[in-house]
Amino acid sequence: MAQLSLQHIDKIYDNNVQAVYDFNIDIKDGELIVLVGPSGCGKSTTLRMVAGLEDISRGNLLLDGRDITRAPAKDRDMAMVFQNYALYGHMTIYENMAFSLLLRKEDPNVIHKKVLAAADILGLTSQLNKKPSQLSGGQRQRVAMGRSIVRNPKVFLFDEPLSNLDAKLRGATRREILLLHKRLNATMMYVTHDQTEALTLADRIVCMSMGHVQQVGTPLELYDSPNNTFVAGFIGLPPMNFFDVTFENGALHGKGFEVALSDEEKATLANYNRKAITLGVRPEDIAEGGTLAVKVFSNENLGMNTLVHGHMGDNIRVTAKLRGWTDYKNGDTVQLGFRRKHFFDKETTNAIRKGDR
Amino acid sequence: MMNDQSVRLDRMRFTKNTTSSRLVLLAIVLDALYFVSLYRINLDYYYNMMMGASILYNLVFMLAAFLASEGVKNYKQSFSGVLCVLGVIQIARIFILPVPAHQTTVTVGGVELLAMSNGQFTRAVIYLVGSAACLFVAAVINFTKSRALQAHIAGLEGQKA
Repeated sequence: MAQLSLQHIDKIYDNNVQAVYDFNIDIKDGELIVLVGPSGCGKSTTLRMVAGLEDISRGNLLLDGRDITRAPAKDRDMAMVFQNYALYGHMTIYENMAFSLLLRKEDPNVIHKKVLAAADILGLTSQLNKKPSQLSGGQRQRVAMGRSIVRNPKVFLFDEPLSNLDAKLRGATRREILLLHKRLNATMMYVTHDQTEALTLADRIVCMSMGHVQQVGTPLELYDSPNNTFVAGFIGLPPMNFFDVTFENGALHGKGFEVALSDEEKATLANYNRKAITLGVRPEDIAEGGTLAVKVFSNENLGMNTLVHGHMGDNIRVTAKLRGWTDYKNGDTVQLGFRRKHFFDKETTNAIRKGDR
Repeated sequence: MMNDQSVRLDRMRFTKNTTSSRLVLLAIVLDALYFVSLYRINLDYYYNMMMGASILYNLVFMLAAFLASEGVKNYKQSFSGVLCVLGVIQIARIFILPVPAHQTTVTVGGVELLAMSNGQFTRAVIYLVGSAACLFVAAVINFTKSRALQAHIAGLEGQKA
Protein backbone atom coordinates (compact mmCIF):
# COMPACT_ATOMS: atom_id res chain seq x y z
CA MET A 1 0.00 0.00 0.00
CA ALA A 2 1.74 3.19 -1.11
CA GLN A 3 0.77 6.68 -2.11
CA LEU A 4 3.42 8.78 -3.71
CA SER A 5 3.28 12.54 -3.91
CA LEU A 6 5.62 14.67 -5.99
CA GLN A 7 5.25 18.32 -5.03
CA HIS A 8 6.82 21.12 -7.07
CA ILE A 9 9.83 19.01 -7.98
CA ASP A 10 12.66 20.75 -9.86
CA LYS A 11 15.93 19.31 -11.06
CA ILE A 12 18.78 21.74 -11.68
CA TYR A 13 22.20 20.28 -12.44
CA ASP A 14 25.45 21.80 -11.21
CA ASN A 15 25.98 23.49 -14.58
CA ASN A 16 22.62 25.31 -14.06
CA VAL A 17 20.84 23.24 -16.69
CA GLN A 18 17.28 22.66 -15.50
CA ALA A 19 16.00 19.22 -16.52
CA VAL A 20 12.65 19.19 -14.71
CA TYR A 21 10.35 22.13 -13.93
CA ASP A 22 7.70 22.14 -11.21
CA PHE A 23 6.63 18.48 -11.45
CA ASN A 24 3.45 17.80 -9.49
CA ILE A 25 1.47 14.61 -9.18
CA ASP A 26 -0.29 12.58 -6.51
CA ILE A 27 -0.06 8.87 -7.32
CA LYS A 28 -2.77 6.80 -5.73
CA ASP A 29 -2.21 3.42 -4.14
CA GLY A 30 -2.04 0.69 -6.79
CA GLU A 31 -1.93 3.16 -9.65
CA LEU A 32 0.27 2.69 -12.70
CA ILE A 33 1.58 6.05 -13.87
CA VAL A 34 3.42 6.25 -17.17
CA LEU A 35 5.81 9.13 -17.88
CA VAL A 36 5.99 9.59 -21.62
CA GLY A 37 7.80 12.05 -23.82
CA PRO A 38 10.61 12.37 -26.33
CA SER A 39 14.27 11.81 -25.42
CA GLY A 40 15.63 14.49 -23.11
CA CYS A 41 12.25 15.59 -21.78
CA GLY A 42 13.15 14.79 -18.16
CA LYS A 43 11.10 11.66 -17.60
CA SER A 44 14.01 9.39 -16.62
CA THR A 45 15.47 12.17 -14.47
CA THR A 46 12.16 12.40 -12.62
CA LEU A 47 12.11 8.65 -12.08
CA ARG A 48 15.69 8.67 -10.83
CA MET A 49 14.83 11.45 -8.41
CA VAL A 50 11.97 9.36 -7.08
CA ALA A 51 14.32 6.35 -6.75
CA GLY A 52 16.90 8.46 -4.94
CA LEU A 53 19.53 8.09 -7.65
CA GLU A 54 19.42 11.85 -8.34
CA ASP A 55 19.12 14.66 -5.82
CA ILE A 56 15.95 16.69 -5.84
CA SER A 57 16.92 20.35 -6.30
CA ARG A 58 13.62 21.81 -5.10
CA GLY A 59 10.29 20.43 -3.97
CA ASN A 60 9.13 17.55 -1.83
CA LEU A 61 8.68 13.84 -2.34
CA LEU A 62 6.26 12.11 0.01
CA LEU A 63 5.68 8.37 0.38
CA ASP A 64 2.56 7.62 2.39
CA GLY A 65 2.81 11.12 3.83
CA ARG A 66 6.43 10.66 4.94
CA ASP A 67 8.92 13.12 3.48
CA ILE A 68 11.62 11.10 1.69
CA THR A 69 13.07 13.97 -0.36
CA ARG A 70 16.52 13.59 1.18
CA ALA A 71 16.30 9.89 2.12
CA PRO A 72 18.98 7.64 0.59
CA ALA A 73 17.85 5.24 -2.13
CA LYS A 74 18.17 2.18 0.12
CA ASP A 75 15.71 3.59 2.65
CA ARG A 76 12.96 4.44 0.18
CA ASP A 77 11.50 0.95 -0.16
CA MET A 78 11.32 1.20 -3.93
CA ALA A 79 12.53 -1.23 -6.57
CA MET A 80 13.75 -0.18 -9.97
CA VAL A 81 13.81 -2.16 -13.20
CA PHE A 82 16.33 -0.88 -15.71
CA GLN A 83 16.40 -0.97 -19.48
CA ASN A 84 19.60 -3.04 -19.52
CA TYR A 85 18.30 -5.53 -16.86
CA ALA A 86 21.38 -5.01 -14.59
CA LEU A 87 21.64 -8.72 -13.74
CA TYR A 88 24.78 -10.33 -12.30
CA GLY A 89 26.18 -12.46 -15.10
CA HIS A 90 28.07 -14.88 -12.83
CA MET A 91 25.02 -15.69 -10.71
CA THR A 92 22.14 -18.00 -11.54
CA ILE A 93 18.63 -16.62 -11.93
CA TYR A 94 17.79 -17.89 -8.44
CA GLU A 95 20.84 -16.16 -6.97
CA ASN A 96 20.08 -12.96 -8.87
CA MET A 97 16.56 -12.88 -7.49
CA ALA A 98 17.65 -13.76 -3.97
CA PHE A 99 20.63 -11.43 -3.85
CA SER A 100 19.02 -8.29 -2.44
CA LEU A 101 17.33 -10.31 0.32
CA LEU A 102 20.61 -12.05 1.19
CA LEU A 103 22.23 -8.66 1.60
CA ARG A 104 19.46 -7.78 4.05
CA LYS A 105 20.31 -10.98 5.92
CA GLU A 106 16.78 -12.39 5.66
CA ASP A 107 16.13 -16.00 6.64
CA PRO A 108 17.24 -18.21 3.70
CA ASN A 109 14.04 -20.28 3.96
CA VAL A 110 11.92 -17.13 3.66
CA ILE A 111 14.05 -15.96 0.73
CA HIS A 112 13.54 -19.33 -0.95
CA LYS A 113 9.77 -19.09 -0.63
CA LYS A 114 9.74 -15.53 -1.98
CA VAL A 115 11.95 -16.39 -4.95
CA LEU A 116 9.85 -19.44 -5.86
CA ALA A 117 6.65 -17.41 -5.58
CA ALA A 118 8.05 -14.64 -7.80
CA ALA A 119 9.40 -17.17 -10.30
CA ASP A 120 5.98 -18.79 -10.42
CA ILE A 121 4.29 -15.46 -11.13
CA LEU A 122 6.75 -14.70 -13.92
CA GLY A 123 6.96 -18.21 -15.38
CA LEU A 124 10.64 -18.55 -14.54
CA THR A 125 10.54 -21.68 -12.36
CA SER A 126 12.27 -23.84 -14.94
CA GLN A 127 14.99 -21.23 -15.53
CA LEU A 128 16.15 -20.74 -11.95
CA ASN A 129 19.39 -22.69 -12.33
CA LYS A 130 20.42 -20.95 -15.54
CA LYS A 131 22.71 -17.97 -15.95
CA PRO A 132 21.36 -14.72 -17.46
CA SER A 133 23.38 -15.31 -20.64
CA GLN A 134 21.31 -18.45 -21.28
CA LEU A 135 18.02 -16.51 -21.32
CA SER A 136 16.33 -14.39 -23.98
CA GLY A 137 15.96 -10.64 -23.55
CA GLY A 138 12.34 -10.97 -22.47
CA GLN A 139 13.21 -13.61 -19.89
CA ARG A 140 16.04 -11.47 -18.55
CA GLN A 141 13.69 -8.56 -18.14
CA ARG A 142 11.30 -10.86 -16.27
CA VAL A 143 14.19 -11.81 -13.96
CA ALA A 144 14.82 -8.12 -13.35
CA MET A 145 11.15 -7.75 -12.45
CA GLY A 146 11.32 -10.84 -10.27
CA ARG A 147 14.23 -9.33 -8.39
CA SER A 148 11.99 -6.38 -7.63
CA ILE A 149 8.98 -8.49 -6.69
CA VAL A 150 10.82 -10.52 -4.05
CA ARG A 151 11.66 -7.33 -2.19
CA ASN A 152 7.96 -6.54 -1.93
CA PRO A 153 8.64 -2.82 -2.30
CA LYS A 154 6.08 -0.10 -1.83
CA VAL A 155 6.69 1.33 -5.29
CA PHE A 156 7.95 -0.25 -8.51
CA LEU A 157 9.90 1.98 -10.88
CA PHE A 158 10.44 0.96 -14.50
CA ASP A 159 12.93 2.86 -16.66
CA GLU A 160 12.17 1.97 -20.28
CA PRO A 161 12.25 -1.76 -19.51
CA LEU A 162 11.19 -2.88 -22.98
CA SER A 163 13.49 -0.74 -25.10
CA ASN A 164 16.05 -3.52 -25.62
CA LEU A 165 13.48 -6.04 -26.86
CA ASP A 166 12.32 -6.69 -30.38
CA ALA A 167 8.81 -5.67 -31.38
CA LYS A 168 7.15 -9.05 -30.83
CA LEU A 169 8.79 -9.64 -27.46
CA ARG A 170 8.01 -6.09 -26.43
CA GLY A 171 4.32 -6.70 -26.97
CA ALA A 172 4.39 -9.95 -25.00
CA THR A 173 6.41 -8.49 -22.11
CA ARG A 174 4.14 -5.43 -22.04
CA ARG A 175 1.16 -7.68 -21.50
CA GLU A 176 3.05 -9.47 -18.75
CA ILE A 177 3.74 -6.19 -16.97
CA LEU A 178 0.07 -5.31 -17.20
CA LEU A 179 -0.92 -8.70 -15.75
CA LEU A 180 1.71 -8.31 -13.07
CA HIS A 181 0.31 -4.93 -12.10
CA LYS A 182 -3.18 -6.35 -11.86
CA ARG A 183 -1.96 -9.30 -9.81
CA LEU A 184 0.21 -7.33 -7.40
CA ASN A 185 -1.96 -4.21 -7.39
CA ALA A 186 1.22 -2.29 -6.66
CA THR A 187 1.98 1.37 -7.16
CA MET A 188 4.13 1.70 -10.26
CA MET A 189 5.90 4.46 -12.15
CA TYR A 190 6.88 3.57 -15.67
CA VAL A 191 9.01 5.62 -18.06
CA THR A 192 8.82 5.17 -21.80
CA HIS A 193 9.10 7.12 -25.00
CA ASP A 194 6.75 4.67 -26.70
CA GLN A 195 3.22 6.01 -26.74
CA THR A 196 1.79 2.54 -27.42
CA GLU A 197 3.23 1.33 -24.11
CA ALA A 198 1.90 4.42 -22.41
CA LEU A 199 -1.62 4.06 -23.80
CA THR A 200 -1.89 0.33 -23.13
CA LEU A 201 -0.34 0.21 -19.65
CA ALA A 202 -1.22 3.41 -17.89
CA ASP A 203 -3.95 4.22 -15.44
CA ARG A 204 -2.79 7.78 -15.97
CA ILE A 205 -0.20 9.25 -18.31
CA VAL A 206 2.13 12.15 -17.63
CA CYS A 207 3.16 13.63 -20.95
CA MET A 208 6.39 15.66 -20.71
CA SER A 209 8.34 17.93 -23.01
CA MET A 210 11.52 19.93 -22.32
CA GLY A 211 11.25 19.24 -18.59
CA HIS A 212 7.67 20.52 -18.33
CA VAL A 213 4.58 18.44 -17.67
CA GLN A 214 2.29 19.03 -20.63
CA GLN A 215 -0.70 17.02 -19.47
CA VAL A 216 -1.68 14.48 -16.85
CA GLY A 217 -4.68 12.30 -17.51
CA THR A 218 -6.07 8.94 -18.47
CA PRO A 219 -4.97 7.53 -21.83
CA LEU A 220 -8.38 8.39 -23.26
CA GLU A 221 -8.18 11.96 -21.99
CA LEU A 222 -4.80 12.48 -23.62
CA TYR A 223 -5.94 10.92 -26.86
CA ASP A 224 -9.38 12.51 -26.97
CA SER A 225 -8.79 15.87 -25.35
CA PRO A 226 -5.14 16.84 -25.67
CA ASN A 227 -4.23 20.02 -23.79
CA ASN A 228 -2.01 21.41 -26.51
CA THR A 229 -0.48 20.73 -29.90
CA PHE A 230 2.49 18.90 -28.33
CA VAL A 231 0.32 16.29 -26.63
CA ALA A 232 -1.94 16.09 -29.66
CA GLY A 233 1.04 15.44 -31.91
CA PHE A 234 2.83 13.06 -29.55
CA ILE A 235 -0.07 10.80 -28.66
CA GLY A 236 -1.49 8.91 -31.60
CA LEU A 237 0.07 7.04 -34.48
CA PRO A 238 0.35 8.32 -37.15
CA PRO A 239 0.47 11.74 -35.49
CA MET A 240 -2.32 14.28 -35.78
CA ASN A 241 -2.50 16.49 -38.87
CA PHE A 242 -2.21 20.21 -38.10
CA PHE A 243 -3.50 22.95 -40.40
CA ASP A 244 -3.20 26.72 -40.10
CA VAL A 245 -6.72 28.08 -40.60
CA THR A 246 -8.84 31.15 -39.90
CA PHE A 247 -12.32 30.94 -38.42
CA GLU A 248 -14.62 33.16 -40.42
CA ASN A 249 -18.32 33.09 -41.35
CA GLY A 250 -18.91 29.83 -39.55
CA ALA A 251 -16.22 27.90 -41.41
CA LEU A 252 -12.49 27.31 -41.29
CA HIS A 253 -10.48 28.75 -44.14
CA GLY A 254 -7.05 27.33 -44.91
CA LYS A 255 -4.69 27.83 -47.82
CA GLY A 256 -6.76 26.64 -50.72
CA PHE A 257 -9.33 24.68 -48.73
CA GLU A 258 -12.37 25.30 -46.57
CA VAL A 259 -13.83 23.18 -43.79
CA ALA A 260 -17.44 23.44 -42.70
CA LEU A 261 -18.23 23.25 -39.00
CA SER A 262 -21.09 21.90 -36.94
CA ASP A 263 -23.09 24.21 -34.68
CA GLU A 264 -21.27 22.85 -31.64
CA GLU A 265 -17.86 23.48 -33.21
CA LYS A 266 -18.94 27.00 -34.15
CA ALA A 267 -19.96 27.56 -30.54
CA THR A 268 -16.55 26.36 -29.37
CA LEU A 269 -14.85 28.88 -31.66
CA ALA A 270 -17.31 31.68 -30.91
CA ASN A 271 -14.58 33.83 -29.38
CA TYR A 272 -12.14 33.25 -32.24
CA ASN A 273 -14.06 34.89 -35.07
CA ARG A 274 -11.63 36.07 -37.79
CA LYS A 275 -8.69 34.79 -35.85
CA ALA A 276 -6.00 32.39 -36.94
CA ILE A 277 -6.07 29.06 -35.12
CA THR A 278 -4.58 25.60 -35.58
CA LEU A 279 -6.92 22.84 -36.69
CA GLY A 280 -5.93 19.32 -35.63
CA VAL A 281 -7.38 16.20 -37.20
CA ARG A 282 -6.28 12.67 -36.38
CA PRO A 283 -5.63 10.49 -39.45
CA GLU A 284 -8.23 8.02 -38.20
CA ASP A 285 -10.81 10.85 -38.07
CA ILE A 286 -10.52 11.38 -41.81
CA ALA A 287 -12.90 9.42 -44.01
CA GLU A 288 -13.61 9.03 -47.69
CA GLY A 289 -16.53 10.90 -49.20
CA GLY A 290 -16.07 14.46 -47.96
CA THR A 291 -15.62 17.78 -49.74
CA LEU A 292 -11.83 18.06 -49.55
CA ALA A 293 -9.93 17.06 -52.67
CA VAL A 294 -6.67 15.38 -51.75
CA LYS A 295 -4.02 14.51 -54.32
CA VAL A 296 -2.45 11.23 -53.24
CA PHE A 297 1.31 10.74 -53.29
CA SER A 298 1.61 7.58 -51.19
CA ASN A 299 -0.64 4.64 -50.32
CA GLU A 300 0.50 2.33 -47.49
CA ASN A 301 -1.58 -0.80 -46.92
CA LEU A 302 -1.49 -2.05 -43.34
CA GLY A 303 -4.01 -4.85 -43.80
CA MET A 304 -6.99 -3.64 -41.79
CA ASN A 305 -6.29 0.01 -42.63
CA THR A 306 -4.56 2.03 -45.30
CA LEU A 307 -2.45 5.11 -44.73
CA VAL A 308 -3.03 7.59 -47.52
CA HIS A 309 -0.63 10.51 -47.73
CA GLY A 310 -1.47 13.42 -49.98
CA HIS A 311 -1.72 17.17 -50.47
CA MET A 312 -4.78 19.37 -50.40
CA GLY A 313 -5.32 23.06 -51.16
CA ASP A 314 -2.03 24.90 -51.62
CA ASN A 315 0.23 21.91 -51.14
CA ILE A 316 -0.91 21.28 -47.53
CA ARG A 317 0.19 17.83 -46.46
CA VAL A 318 -2.41 15.47 -44.98
CA THR A 319 -2.33 11.85 -43.78
CA ALA A 320 -5.49 9.79 -43.58
CA LYS A 321 -5.97 6.38 -42.02
CA LEU A 322 -8.74 4.83 -44.04
CA ARG A 323 -10.55 1.66 -43.10
CA GLY A 324 -9.96 -1.35 -45.29
CA TRP A 325 -7.71 -1.84 -48.28
CA THR A 326 -7.41 0.98 -50.81
CA ASP A 327 -5.17 1.12 -53.84
CA TYR A 328 -4.73 4.76 -54.69
CA LYS A 329 -1.95 5.53 -57.13
CA ASN A 330 0.41 8.46 -57.02
CA GLY A 331 -1.47 11.44 -58.52
CA ASP A 332 -4.99 10.12 -57.87
CA THR A 333 -7.43 12.59 -56.35
CA VAL A 334 -9.63 11.40 -53.51
CA GLN A 335 -12.48 13.22 -51.75
CA LEU A 336 -12.03 13.19 -47.99
CA GLY A 337 -13.86 14.68 -45.03
CA PHE A 338 -12.91 15.49 -41.43
CA ARG A 339 -15.04 13.88 -38.73
CA ARG A 340 -13.61 14.84 -35.33
CA LYS A 341 -11.73 18.12 -35.14
CA HIS A 342 -9.46 19.61 -32.48
CA PHE A 343 -8.84 23.35 -32.23
CA PHE A 344 -5.72 24.99 -30.79
CA ASP A 345 -4.82 28.59 -30.07
CA LYS A 346 -2.15 29.56 -32.55
CA GLU A 347 -0.19 31.68 -30.06
CA THR A 348 -0.31 29.55 -26.93
CA THR A 349 -0.74 26.17 -28.71
CA ASN A 350 -3.31 25.30 -26.03
CA ALA A 351 -6.53 23.52 -26.90
CA ILE A 352 -9.58 25.69 -27.45
CA ARG A 353 -12.52 24.41 -25.51
CA LYS A 354 -16.04 25.71 -25.27
CA GLY A 355 -16.13 29.02 -23.37
CA ASP A 356 -12.39 29.79 -23.80
CA ARG A 357 -11.45 33.47 -24.13
CA MET B 1 2.81 -26.19 2.62
CA MET B 2 6.48 -27.08 3.09
CA ASN B 3 7.94 -27.21 6.56
CA ASP B 4 11.33 -25.71 7.36
CA GLN B 5 13.14 -28.99 6.80
CA SER B 6 11.69 -29.51 3.34
CA VAL B 7 12.30 -25.84 2.44
CA ARG B 8 15.93 -26.32 3.48
CA LEU B 9 16.14 -29.37 1.22
CA ASP B 10 14.33 -27.62 -1.59
CA ARG B 11 16.77 -24.72 -1.40
CA MET B 12 19.54 -27.12 -2.34
CA ARG B 13 17.97 -27.47 -5.80
CA PHE B 14 19.06 -23.90 -6.52
CA THR B 15 21.99 -23.23 -4.20
CA LYS B 16 25.53 -24.59 -4.33
CA ASN B 17 27.19 -26.76 -1.73
CA THR B 18 29.55 -23.97 -0.77
CA THR B 19 30.45 -25.51 2.60
CA SER B 20 32.10 -28.55 1.04
CA SER B 21 33.60 -26.52 -1.76
CA ARG B 22 35.18 -24.00 0.62
CA LEU B 23 36.52 -26.75 2.86
CA VAL B 24 38.29 -28.29 -0.13
CA LEU B 25 39.75 -24.90 -1.05
CA LEU B 26 40.98 -24.59 2.54
CA ALA B 27 42.57 -28.03 2.20
CA ILE B 28 44.45 -26.76 -0.87
CA VAL B 29 45.68 -23.72 1.07
CA LEU B 30 46.91 -25.91 3.95
CA ASP B 31 48.66 -28.16 1.46
CA ALA B 32 50.38 -25.15 -0.06
CA LEU B 33 51.53 -24.04 3.41
CA TYR B 34 52.94 -27.51 4.05
CA PHE B 35 54.75 -27.49 0.75
CA VAL B 36 56.25 -24.05 1.35
CA SER B 37 57.36 -25.06 4.86
CA LEU B 38 59.43 -27.93 3.42
CA TYR B 39 61.95 -25.50 1.95
CA ARG B 40 63.09 -24.61 5.45
CA ILE B 41 64.53 -28.09 5.99
CA ASN B 42 68.25 -27.95 6.78
CA LEU B 43 70.80 -28.38 4.03
CA ASP B 44 70.39 -30.78 1.15
CA TYR B 45 68.08 -33.27 2.81
CA TYR B 46 65.18 -32.28 0.60
CA TYR B 47 67.15 -31.75 -2.59
CA ASN B 48 67.08 -35.24 -4.08
CA MET B 49 64.80 -37.24 -6.35
CA MET B 50 61.96 -36.80 -3.88
CA MET B 51 61.79 -33.11 -4.65
CA GLY B 52 60.66 -33.62 -8.24
CA ALA B 53 58.11 -36.22 -7.21
CA SER B 54 56.87 -33.99 -4.42
CA ILE B 55 56.39 -31.01 -6.76
CA LEU B 56 54.58 -33.16 -9.30
CA TYR B 57 52.31 -34.64 -6.67
CA ASN B 58 51.45 -31.19 -5.32
CA LEU B 59 50.42 -30.05 -8.79
CA VAL B 60 48.27 -33.17 -9.21
CA PHE B 61 46.79 -32.73 -5.75
CA MET B 62 45.87 -29.11 -6.29
CA LEU B 63 44.28 -29.84 -9.68
CA ALA B 64 42.34 -32.85 -8.41
CA ALA B 65 41.23 -31.05 -5.27
CA PHE B 66 40.11 -28.00 -7.23
CA LEU B 67 38.09 -30.12 -9.66
CA ALA B 68 36.60 -31.96 -6.70
CA SER B 69 35.66 -28.64 -5.08
CA GLU B 70 33.73 -27.75 -8.22
CA GLY B 71 32.14 -31.20 -8.24
CA VAL B 72 30.97 -31.09 -4.65
CA LYS B 73 29.68 -27.55 -5.23
CA ASN B 74 27.11 -29.17 -7.52
CA TYR B 75 26.33 -32.05 -5.12
CA LYS B 76 28.12 -34.66 -7.26
CA GLN B 77 28.20 -37.68 -4.96
CA SER B 78 31.13 -39.42 -6.67
CA PHE B 79 33.48 -36.60 -5.71
CA SER B 80 33.11 -37.55 -2.06
CA GLY B 81 35.14 -40.67 -2.89
CA VAL B 82 37.81 -38.61 -4.63
CA LEU B 83 38.07 -36.36 -1.56
CA CYS B 84 38.44 -39.37 0.76
CA VAL B 85 41.28 -40.76 -1.38
CA LEU B 86 43.04 -37.38 -1.39
CA GLY B 87 42.58 -37.16 2.39
CA VAL B 88 44.14 -40.58 2.96
CA ILE B 89 47.11 -39.60 0.77
CA GLN B 90 47.57 -36.40 2.80
CA ILE B 91 47.83 -38.47 5.97
CA ALA B 92 50.22 -40.90 4.25
CA ARG B 93 52.44 -38.00 3.21
CA ILE B 94 53.28 -37.38 6.88
CA PHE B 95 55.22 -40.65 6.83
CA ILE B 96 56.85 -40.06 3.45
CA LEU B 97 58.80 -36.90 4.25
CA PRO B 98 58.23 -35.17 7.63
CA VAL B 99 58.67 -38.29 9.82
CA PRO B 100 61.94 -39.50 8.15
CA ALA B 101 63.29 -35.92 8.08
CA HIS B 102 62.45 -35.49 11.74
CA GLN B 103 64.33 -38.71 12.57
CA THR B 104 67.40 -37.83 10.49
CA THR B 105 70.33 -35.75 11.68
CA VAL B 106 72.65 -33.68 9.52
CA THR B 107 75.93 -31.97 10.42
CA VAL B 108 76.08 -28.20 9.91
CA GLY B 109 79.43 -26.52 10.69
CA GLY B 110 80.42 -29.42 12.85
CA VAL B 111 77.11 -29.30 14.75
CA GLU B 112 74.70 -32.21 14.47
CA LEU B 113 71.10 -31.04 13.87
CA LEU B 114 67.76 -32.63 13.01
CA ALA B 115 67.02 -32.30 9.27
CA MET B 116 63.53 -31.12 10.27
CA SER B 117 63.33 -29.37 13.63
CA ASN B 118 60.59 -30.14 16.15
CA GLY B 119 58.74 -26.92 15.37
CA GLN B 120 58.89 -27.48 11.63
CA PHE B 121 57.76 -31.07 12.03
CA THR B 122 54.79 -30.04 14.19
CA ARG B 123 53.73 -27.40 11.67
CA ALA B 124 54.07 -29.80 8.72
CA VAL B 125 51.96 -32.42 10.51
CA ILE B 126 49.34 -29.84 11.44
CA TYR B 127 49.10 -28.63 7.82
CA LEU B 128 48.75 -32.15 6.43
CA VAL B 129 46.34 -33.37 9.10
CA GLY B 130 44.31 -30.13 8.74
CA SER B 131 44.23 -30.53 4.99
CA ALA B 132 43.12 -34.17 5.29
CA ALA B 133 40.48 -33.27 7.90
CA CYS B 134 39.01 -30.60 5.61
CA LEU B 135 38.83 -33.12 2.78
CA PHE B 136 37.13 -35.77 4.94
CA VAL B 137 34.59 -33.34 6.38
CA ALA B 138 33.86 -31.92 2.91
CA ALA B 139 33.36 -35.48 1.62
CA VAL B 140 30.96 -36.40 4.43
CA ILE B 141 28.93 -33.18 4.09
CA ASN B 142 28.71 -33.58 0.35
CA PHE B 143 27.70 -37.24 0.63
CA THR B 144 24.97 -36.46 3.15
CA LYS B 145 23.63 -33.46 1.27
CA SER B 146 23.69 -35.06 -2.15
CA ARG B 147 21.81 -38.12 -0.88
CA ALA B 148 19.21 -35.93 0.79
CA LEU B 149 18.87 -33.85 -2.37
CA GLN B 150 18.46 -36.93 -4.54
CA ALA B 151 15.75 -38.24 -2.26
CA HIS B 152 14.01 -34.84 -2.27
CA ILE B 153 14.09 -34.60 -6.07
CA ALA B 154 12.79 -38.17 -6.34
CA GLY B 155 9.98 -37.20 -3.98
CA LEU B 156 9.11 -34.15 -6.07
CA GLU B 157 9.09 -36.21 -9.25
CA GLY B 158 6.89 -38.77 -7.52
CA GLN B 159 4.44 -36.00 -6.58
CA LYS B 160 4.37 -34.78 -10.18
CA ALA B 161 3.73 -38.27 -11.50
